[in-house]
Amino acid sequence: MRYSQDWRESMSDPDLVPGIPGMKGSGVVEPEPAPGTLHPSGGGDRPGDRDVIRIDHLTKAFANHATVIAVNDVSFSVRRGEIFGLLGPNGAGKSTLIRILTTLMRPTSGRAFIDAFEVTRDDEKIRGIIGVCPQNSTLDLELTAYDNLAFYGDLLGVPTKDLDRRISDLLVMTGLAGRAEMQVKTFSGGMRRKLEIVRAFIHHPLVLFLDEPTIGLDPESRREVWRQIALLNQEETTIILTTHYMDEAEKLCNRIAFIDRGRLISLDTPDNLKRSVPAGDLIEIGVDRGDEGILTMVRRYDQVRSVEMKETVLAISATQGSRLVPLLLADLERHGVAVKSISIRSPSLEDVFIHLTGKKLDTPGVQDIPGLNRGRSR
Amino acid sequence: MMRGAVAIFKRDFKKFLSTPFVIFMTLFMPIMYLIVFGNAMGGAITGIPVGIVQEEPYITETPLFQSASEFMRYYHQNDNPVLFSITTFNQEKAAQQALSTGRIMGYVVFPSDTSPGREVRLYLDSSEYVIPGLIEAGVTAAVRGTGANNPFSVSKIYGSTEYIQFFGVGVIVMAIFMTTMMGGGIALIRDRELGIIEGYLVTPVKRSSIILGTIGSGTIKAFMAGTIIFMVNLVIAGTVIRTSDSYLLVFSVLFLISLGITSLVVALASRFSSQQEYASSVAFLNLFLFMTSGAFYPVLGMPDWLRWMTLINPEAYAVHALRSIILRGQGLAIIWPDILALSIFTGLAIMLGIATYRRRLE
Repeated sequence: MRYSQDWRESMSDPDLVPGIPGMKGSGVVEPEPAPGTLHPSGGGDRPGDRDVIRIDHLTKAFANHATVIAVNDVSFSVRRGEIFGLLGPNGAGKSTLIRILTTLMRPTSGRAFIDAFEVTRDDEKIRGIIGVCPQNSTLDLELTAYDNLAFYGDLLGVPTKDLDRRISDLLVMTGLAGRAEMQVKTFSGGMRRKLEIVRAFIHHPLVLFLDEPTIGLDPESRREVWRQIALLNQEETTIILTTHYMDEAEKLCNRIAFIDRGRLISLDTPDNLKRSVPAGDLIEIGVDRGDEGILTMVRRYDQVRSVEMKETVLAISATQGSRLVPLLLADLERHGVAVKSISIRSPSLEDVFIHLTGKKLDTPGVQDIPGLNRGRSR
Repeated sequence: MMRGAVAIFKRDFKKFLSTPFVIFMTLFMPIMYLIVFGNAMGGAITGIPVGIVQEEPYITETPLFQSASEFMRYYHQNDNPVLFSITTFNQEKAAQQALSTGRIMGYVVFPSDTSPGREVRLYLDSSEYVIPGLIEAGVTAAVRGTGANNPFSVSKIYGSTEYIQFFGVGVIVMAIFMTTMMGGGIALIRDRELGIIEGYLVTPVKRSSIILGTIGSGTIKAFMAGTIIFMVNLVIAGTVIRTSDSYLLVFSVLFLISLGITSLVVALASRFSSQQEYASSVAFLNLFLFMTSGAFYPVLGMPDWLRWMTLINPEAYAVHALRSIILRGQGLAIIWPDILALSIFTGLAIMLGIATYRRRLE
């Protein structure tokens, strides 16, 4: 597995996150490409300067009735300032991994470092430099928004003289300034989530862990939360988020680690991951007639992996499909075939996952959000 | 309709069977209630410590004294052990001293000569329930049994105490135990069950800080509950407390119990992860401690094995201390052993709380 350095070229989607230019990778400036393996130091105790997290053959087994291996020999590193996604189906071991990194659980074997600290030995130091937003809400619903933030400000050692101002800033950032003195139980799901995310950020942590930050939220609230995450990343905080939503990982993450049944199955930028799918882009051209001649004509391009005629639709799998389309259109025109419709779909992360594991991610939430899942075209 | 009913029935039953601990407690508790209730309340009271003394000038033991004390020494009801545990005093002053410090629960002063006009005087610790009546009945039987016809005088040294006053003191202690175990403990378990605890376990807050803060707020809540019940009890039961020193002592004892029981609850709550399990265990513990505390019924009425429980039951010390202050107007000189026992309990509970609190999720 290799790093890829061109994640900054990843597609950005201005409609989705309006008002935040260059949200992707805004915290990272890396002039030089970064070749090398995931563990360049080869077993030293300190992670490299650019790595803020290093995970080294980490395994976690739960022994109840039968032994369940939730995390199975996982190794990877997370770079300073990036948004790193742990993507996988429910029960893949993402939350367990987060709980080990946030010192809530001990690994069965292997080691993990955050900055220079090891999770089992220096757990107290680690708790001071991380911010965590767990999967289930941990807000005190009976307390006000202000009191919830103040509580964590005190626990996280934010200087008392700065605390009031810091809370005000965070409430303004989330758009909840007007509700500072209202009980959290009167808040909507999206408002609660945003409050909880900034709560984890009250002490400017080095690393921010977000476990399924948008689970159970409506599309509008999800966008709000994404905007929030992108804003926080601009403050040079490394963000690790787990999700089983493809679109979320694709919109937010600089790099993505696919986790399945406790194992790390792939790690790369979203674009590189998509490029790894051999079928490439799917081009569909609606035509008024089709014959063997047209198919032969299409097949002569090297990029084309397969082509077939589905009634009046020409379905083509090809790499670099967007460059191929103008050539195909010209060919069709020369053959006197009228083109009625055209669409290109690049492989989604879900296609990548299917390619890697041979099965679908169970992503019930994705289907609920039209226009954000695999049907996206460009 | 039947299909729905059966479905509801099955669901309920499957859930019930999936929690072995709760099943155990549901079956075990009534049995324990039977044993504890049955023995702690309404048992035959035996071995009441009573003093006897003959009036000065003391020349020789009168026949009345001899036969009456002999009678009382072996006096018993049906198959029960003897009713009284007799101590003979040489001087009335010594007996009085023993009564006021709670070593005996009453004493009889026999006249120095047995001419019919001389009265037999009886002094009773009237702050106890049932016992004063038993002593009076026993002494009457003893004197009349010898054929003597001397008149009687009975002095209740703490005035006449109603049952509600006797019981009220127990309720104060129970209020503290109840509010802490149910209110405070459940709040802690909810934090764990709902995962709210996960939020602050990942902050650098120290384990000792969590415990100190939790015990602190719990103690104040319990103390307030105890104080309110104490005040209400004064009004309802019509108890009069005479000195401000006594008030100070009452509040000190209330605070000490609040601290101890809160610490115990914190220790327990950090080991339970389900409200249901915690609630069923604590309901039992609470009742058990209350029943064996002597709050309802004199400890002397319990069988020996249950009386041992009162020795390790902090609630019994609390009830005894409060009863001494509130009903008998006694001070530190009498209740220091209770205070010592409560302090040891509190210290152990805090140490247990710190030792068992889990800083991680597993």
